[in-house]
Amino acid sequence: MSARQETQTNGKARNNSALALGLALFVLALLILWVWVPLDTDSGLIEKVRRRWVIGDALAPSVAAVVLGLGGAFLALVALMGRAEPLDLSVSNVVFALAYLVLLVAAFHVMRWVGPGLVALSDQAQSYRSLRDTVPWKYLGFVSGGFLLVLASIVAVERRLSARAVLVALLAPLAIALIYDLPFDDLLLPPNGDL
Amino acid sequence: MGFWDHLWLGVAAVFTASPAFELLGLPVSTTVIMIASGFGVGIVVGATPGLAGPMAMAIALPILISVFGVSADALLPVLGFLIGIMKGATIGGAVPAILFNTPGTPDALLTTFDGYPMAKKGQARKALKAAHFASASGDTFSDLVLFTSAPFLAIMVERFLDLPEKTGLIILSLSFIAAVVGNSAAKGLISAGLGLLAAYIGKGEDFYPRLSLGQDALADGFPVVTAVLGVLILGEVFKGIEDLVRSGPQSPTRSQAVSKADSRFGWKEVVLCWPYIRTSALIGTAIGALPGIGSTLAATLGYASGRRSHARKYPDQPKFGTGRIEGVAATEAANSAVSGANLIPVLSLGIPGNAAAVFLILAMDSIGGFNPGPSVFKLQGGVVGEGINPELVVVFGIFTAMMVANALNWSLGGLFMRSVGVMAHIPKHLLLPVILLLTLTAIYVQLTSMAGVYMAIGFGLLGYFMRRVGVSVLPFVIAFILGRNLEETARQAFAATGGDVWFLFHSPIAFAFVLASVVVVTLALWRPGARKKPN
Amino acid sequence: MSKLSKIITTSLFAAGMTVAGLGSAHADWTPSGPIKLIIAFAAGGGADTIARATAEEIESRKGWAILPEQVTGKGGLNAAVALTKEPADGTAIAMIVTETLGYNRVAAGAPVALGDFTPLTTVAGFQMGIVAKTEKGWASFADVIQAAKDGQAIRFGTMSPKLSDLAYLLGKANGVEFNTVQVRGGKAVMNGVQAGDLDLGFMAGIQAKGVAAGDLVNLASALSAPLAQSPEAATMSAYGVDFNADGYFAFVAPGGLSEEARQALSQAIIEVVSDPNTKAGGIIAKAFAGAKTISGGDLEALLENASQGAQGLLDASSE
Repeated sequence: MSARQETQTNGKARNNSALALGLALFVLALLILWVWVPLDTDSGLIEKVRRRWVIGDALAPSVAAVVLGLGGAFLALVALMGRAEPLDLSVSNVVFALAYLVLLVAAFHVMRWVGPGLVALSDQAQSYRSLRDTVPWKYLGFVSGGFLLVLASIVAVERRLSARAVLVALLAPLAIALIYDLPFDDLLLPPNGDL
Repeated sequence: MGFWDHLWLGVAAVFTASPAFELLGLPVSTTVIMIASGFGVGIVVGATPGLAGPMAMAIALPILISVFGVSADALLPVLGFLIGIMKGATIGGAVPAILFNTPGTPDALLTTFDGYPMAKKGQARKALKAAHFASASGDTFSDLVLFTSAPFLAIMVERFLDLPEKTGLIILSLSFIAAVVGNSAAKGLISAGLGLLAAYIGKGEDFYPRLSLGQDALADGFPVVTAVLGVLILGEVFKGIEDLVRSGPQSPTRSQAVSKADSRFGWKEVVLCWPYIRTSALIGTAIGALPGIGSTLAATLGYASGRRSHARKYPDQPKFGTGRIEGVAATEAANSAVSGANLIPVLSLGIPGNAAAVFLILAMDSIGGFNPGPSVFKLQGGVVGEGINPELVVVFGIFTAMMVANALNWSLGGLFMRSVGVMAHIPKHLLLPVILLLTLTAIYVQLTSMAGVYMAIGFGLLGYFMRRVGVSVLPFVIAFILGRNLEETARQAFAATGGDVWFLFHSPIAFAFVLASVVVVTLALWRPGARKKPN
Repeated sequence: MSKLSKIITTSLFAAGMTVAGLGSAHADWTPSGPIKLIIAFAAGGGADTIARATAEEIESRKGWAILPEQVTGKGGLNAAVALTKEPADGTAIAMIVTETLGYNRVAAGAPVALGDFTPLTTVAGFQMGIVAKTEKGWASFADVIQAAKDGQAIRFGTMSPKLSDLAYLLGKANGVEFNTVQVRGGKAVMNGVQAGDLDLGFMAGIQAKGVAAGDLVNLASALSAPLAQSPEAATMSAYGVDFNADGYFAFVAPGGLSEEARQALSQAIIEVVSDPNTKAGGIIAKAFAGAKTISGGDLEALLENASQGAQGLLDASSE
């Protein structure tokens, strides 16, 4: 049974999930208002500067927290009245999101380190930093990281490794690299601006 | 310098500035080429299920800025391209809706109701022609309303609104968006609250970057592209990829043989459709002018109104939903009429009403030299010399660009539209990962920092979860963009009134805006779930 | 014109030129790789355009690769902090305003020290004036003081805490109080004055065209010297304030840069901005009354003085 069917056949569970989300956001808003904002801003809601009252840095985030808290409170209230809309979030959604996040972080770490790694392995006298604007070094990281990201995404859907997937995963980052790099002198592909 | 000088300069800026090449001895301006290519891209994108206008605008914007730079003469080519996409996508969306029963864009869902049955009857070309005619009519009408009403609205704002009133107006717009978008005002408030919070991190007046948790990367806050592209585009891509992972690759769409049994769309059909187009264009324009309500609702209302009046007038004919050409026309006129009117709040108030408007504002913001808001409509721009207000020239340039796009739409749009049916065959699971990589690359190129990419991914996850729990992302995006304006305007109003804590309540207009905000939110909360999604 | 074609034309142009030998050791210095140029100003603004145009011209004249990137916010301090994390070998420089390392650094509680930087050169000075619309009927700042004394609430637009301090001191010295409205950037002051949201404000050169057209008027000079455009406008000392808003756009490198690299980089920048035939030099000549290139020990002294003056200003305005 899918998450959607579950929530639709079980009105009570649906309301409970909305109630939990509403309360969680309400608590989050309180924490922002009473802990984060006071600890992490330098001025109060309003302040006297140069003998005049001005709005301080804490006011706007406090307003944001109040809006968020109101939203959470109303959501919880509507759920208590039994009129909440379905929340279609299942455990498997969270698992997917985490797995995909891992893939993204892995792909961008490959992007970041493949170039400097290869420079270290090769007998280059120069550092990757000074080579980051030269062919082929500037493409290595981007193309390998991009390849990983696109390939893994396609394979996850197709559940097999097809030649088409490999081709798309190879050509897409190459094409994107060329779109940005060939015509524009000043643009830097990832990760070359971080060095 | 008067109205006509500005108008003339605006028209000239589109047609004569920086010619790209010569055609038969006549210079062809870069801006016109950009409008035409944007329009073409828009139709293709609209015809591709899974891609929509705003997504293409989001991906195109950083590339355009790389190409044209951020000098003042980049404005019209870039905005022209984006406006082209916006207009093209609305007619493109009808193509797969009619041919394959798959809406290319969400607002073309109701086009399938009558368009696909028509295609099955062998009237695919007829339906496409009707969709094009209705779409172009609605769009042109909406533009004309924009041209006439935006300047007057702006002049009123400028004449009657001081800093406290401007603060009140932003509060009202935000409340309205939070209250009406999506299916619950509580969720709208949550979305807006999160957007405001994200906007306020790192920014601020003190030298200590507030809420930055000591991170240097957050010292200047989240760059706008990370939040907007993350929530709007990456969130959608993550969700799309997950759906595909669960369902497996989608089987190729069924092809409907396009027979030419009846492809006539002549005077008789125009007369038949006209009353529906007229009503729907009015509905779409009205909805487009209000912030927060998109073209999908316009299409729904246009279709519903058409269906009602058709059933009343011709009780013995087959109803809408059985392949009536009027049904296609009613839907397409309504959803296309949104695209001009949504620029009314953008140009006259600087307030974006929907995702397409967000990207137009983002473009103006990144390029600079044009700050949408009431001051752009001033005829006296003397401070910049020669008595010309360059912002008003840009406004007329934008209007001209819209008319160029309409002319293209009327002349070539129909032809081009009928040739992009093939786009519906591109497998979505190959497209989405490439779009993901392209979007993240575009963000990196603009920010030159991995931190920016990770921020965008974080916002992407936020957008993903918001979609999963049914919290609309539009209030988030608009609150993020308006949040910084809101704080600045409030600070200025407070300081300008000499530290009056009640500055929002001392002016009757500001007070009325605040009161209206409370009423709008309360009314929306009062009837939760009253506005169910169409069908 | 596309960036690409610009690059092609400028490099063709450069190819026809011979790079003038400077006859000293730094002529031989070249960076070990591409130079990162951190720009502390929003993309597309006047300052950003100057920075990028200078970089392009140096690229074509010297054959060095320069990669510009934006690090904005907190009055340039974000850019300054980012620069201190780069190597001090001439492959990283930044364009900021002198106020960043002066007032802003001091007011922020010195997150970075002056010693963390090797100043290269200034390129242009602000023409900072106190400006109002002509239709207000004010001819000099004395008229503003009179209007405030007559009970009019005056909104004074500023774009940095330092200028807010100056506005406050101007009021205090003359026995009036202004409603100081601090906005983001000179363009916002201009828009506010234009829209009538502000009565007057500080403008750092953006007012030139409007003053020439007679729509705006420089009521006073906020510099230590009179403005080039309106020499008749008195300086703030005539109104009892002994501080000034002198400020420059400046290039800096991380602290501990070798003398050779410093000379070579400074010289390359100075050559470009002092030449009104280059794009950068042209903008500077038009909007900032010509290049002001203070470098080496003079610039170090200027930053030192600015920091000390900032402390004085902070003390005076917190009384």
